[in-house]
Amino acid sequence: MSETLPLSVVVSARDSGSTLREALVAIRASRLPRDSYEIIVVDDASSDGSVAIAARYADTVVKLTGRLCGPAYARNRGVELARGQIVAFVDGDVVVRSDTLSRMLATFGDRPDIAAVSASHDEQSGSINFVSRYWNVLLRFGEERHAGDRAHFVPGCGMVRRQVFLAAGMYDEWRFPTGCLESAELGDRLRNTGHGVLLSSELKVAHLKRWNLVSVCREVWRRSRILARSLGYQRMSATVPSEVVFSLTRTLTPAVALLGTLSLAAAFVPPPQGVAKGGIVLAVLILSNLSVHRFYARTCGLAFAVASAPLHLFAQTVAAVALCTGWILRDVLGDATPDATTQAYSEVGLETWPPVRRRV
Amino acid sequence: MSRAGVEEFAYDDSPSAVSVLSSAIFAHPRGWEHERLVAGNAVVEHPARPRRTPRRSVIVVLGDNHVVSADLVTKRLPSDGDNEEVDVIVACAGQPKNLGSLQRRVRDLQVLLAPAGTSTEDLRELAMQRAPGDIVTLLSGSLAELENG
Repeated sequence: MSETLPLSVVVSARDSGSTLREALVAIRASRLPRDSYEIIVVDDASSDGSVAIAARYADTVVKLTGRLCGPAYARNRGVELARGQIVAFVDGDVVVRSDTLSRMLATFGDRPDIAAVSASHDEQSGSINFVSRYWNVLLRFGEERHAGDRAHFVPGCGMVRRQVFLAAGMYDEWRFPTGCLESAELGDRLRNTGHGVLLSSELKVAHLKRWNLVSVCREVWRRSRILARSLGYQRMSATVPSEVVFSLTRTLTPAVALLGTLSLAAAFVPPPQGVAKGGIVLAVLILSNLSVHRFYARTCGLAFAVASAPLHLFAQTVAAVALCTGWILRDVLGDATPDATTQAYSEVGLETWPPVRRRV
Repeated sequence: MSRAGVEEFAYDDSPSAVSVLSSAIFAHPRGWEHERLVAGNAVVEHPARPRRTPRRSVIVVLGDNHVVSADLVTKRLPSDGDNEEVDVIVACAGQPKNLGSLQRRVRDLQVLLAPAGTSTEDLRELAMQRAPGDIVTLLSGSLAELENG
């Protein structure tokens, strides 16, 4: 049971039936000897047959039952079983290229100072509807601007040295019951203990998750709220600048300030001023987000950049409101914690399966 | 999902029992989901209840003309000192070969039989449906010629 391997690939899946097969087939098609890695799928109480799909391709399947545990919890359970010196986390909707895992693995040999490596979003592939494309390119924008060896640990496809991961306390399953910013927080902890966290803009993986307006808004809301409530905007802004929340909000603050000034100035402009005011507002918003729009134009074409501008503005508004909500909740209620039952079980050290959430 | 019928039974080491069961399975037109043959010990059912530790299962998948080393399987089982229960399920395409040594070393071995030609992926999926474990380890056999050579 204690035989070690170079690599363990931990795939967390929650109702990923539509994408899991493609994700696992891609892992198995990696340019690595099959006996040099194992695939561990941790199924987070799926109801769509993900376990059956996992059984077809995985070496180990962990079945979590009951309510949603979240990817942080699921990945921790996978690492507890892993035999690899390096652990890769791949989401159930992520498709790696045939050389992705081998290149990431080689990085650890070349760079002993690096404890974790992440691949970034491939803006040209994955789910192809308009909102999915907008979201993937937005994430790609942040990753490309802030790639390097003191970067963001990206959840979709990342590798970490197992010993370093265990020493850092693993994922924070206590504060992150749903998939949101847990990897950013882990990367922050790794960097604080002197380890390098590399985000490569050359290593790209396709994200198959299909987004729509509602799911994108919900994701922006969750990320922004949790970031403001539990992690702190200023600290994370300095350490994880590639996080999508900052891609959305960094440009919003100066834009709002400019809009306020211009609105005040417009009050002194004689009528008719409606069209002029509208034009000024539009120009300010576009200018304040110029780098994002240029990135969209470069990667997806000018028409897409123009079409995505209203969606971007809407997402920025959602992010701003969620950040404010998070700050208020932090002041009123404090940091996010699990429910009272979980806290009580944790307090008395109850041994059960699935295990009670652990504090970092 | 396999087109094949699969039957589950607690393993009986006598070749005749395997033959009889296999014949019954392959002759059955409606497949595994309507017939459940039990030879020897009854298959133990494990009702869902709160547990202190995870239940473990090991699935061994044997495609056509594949065999498995008993050592490979027992390496994945807890040692005698670990008071832990593990279900071992062998899923075979066609007649299983050389299961005797494995049966001697694993108590309550369960064998799922599927017709020859069933793919290993289908065998894995079928066995997973029968595996009660929270943590399921899946092992594959190797070609009989390679094993012997």
